[in-house]
Amino acid sequence: METDAVLIERSARGRPDAFVEVVRRHEVAVHGYLARRAGRQAADDLLGEVWVRAFGGRGGFDPAHADARPWLYGIARNVLRAHWRAGRPADQPGVVEAVDPWEDVIDRLDSAAAARTREMVGAVRALPPEEREVLLLVAWEQLTPAQAALVLGIPPGTARSRLHRARAALRPVLAGEGS
Amino acid sequence: MNGDPPDLDRLDRPDLDRLDRLGRVDPPAPGVLDVALEVLWSAVAAEMLATAPHEQRRIAEPGAEEAAGQPRREDPSAP
Repeated sequence: METDAVLIERSARGRPDAFVEVVRRHEVAVHGYLARRAGRQAADDLLGEVWVRAFGGRGGFDPAHADARPWLYGIARNVLRAHWRAGRPADQPGVVEAVDPWEDVIDRLDSAAAARTREMVGAVRALPPEEREVLLLVAWEQLTPAQAALVLGIPPGTARSRLHRARAALRPVLAGEGS
Repeated sequence: MNGDPPDLDRLDRPDLDRLDRLGRVDPPAPGVLDVALEVLWSAVAAEMLATAPHEQRRIAEPGAEEAAGQPRREDPSAP
């Protein structure tokens, strides 16, 4: 099977339809990424925008990475941030970079969570946003720390450090969960 | 993974797997993926239409082939 990188490169060299195969490979995963963070309705609405942005920006894809998922998640992340910014009150323009909708995410998850899981939710909620983001890319999207670093545009070592700190913070909760 | 080296953090996941439960979502409803794909196809078609006529026009213009470094083709209807 051809890698995502081969297909994306081909799509940029006169065969734009080759990009559709990349999207088919990852559409469920990217929809899940959006749905976990913004809910299913928003995921349904935003998925097409992710594809169009990715298609338009495919010239910037680094073919050294055979798997396109981290790149696609990075684009989905930007689409989400724009979506959340658009939902903010107009009188708060100064908080654009501080967008963190975790309260909404928790509210949605919490409604379906068992009591024991709520403890874990609380611990995740208490994490610094930058650590939480790495942790959830690894736990939810099944990425390696190096791939999570690609999504976030940070050095791999930074992603590893953040993941290490997040896991250390959650360890007491996770250790008690199975007992 | 496509060629990524083994990652020690990835090999030690039991605790992360517990977290995975928090992130479970239902798969998209039927038709949702197709609708998004149609949006993409519109962009793909627009790009194909934007480039294809340009190429055809360029070749159809008198002298275009010589300008592009290609010899003029013989007229098949010429005696």
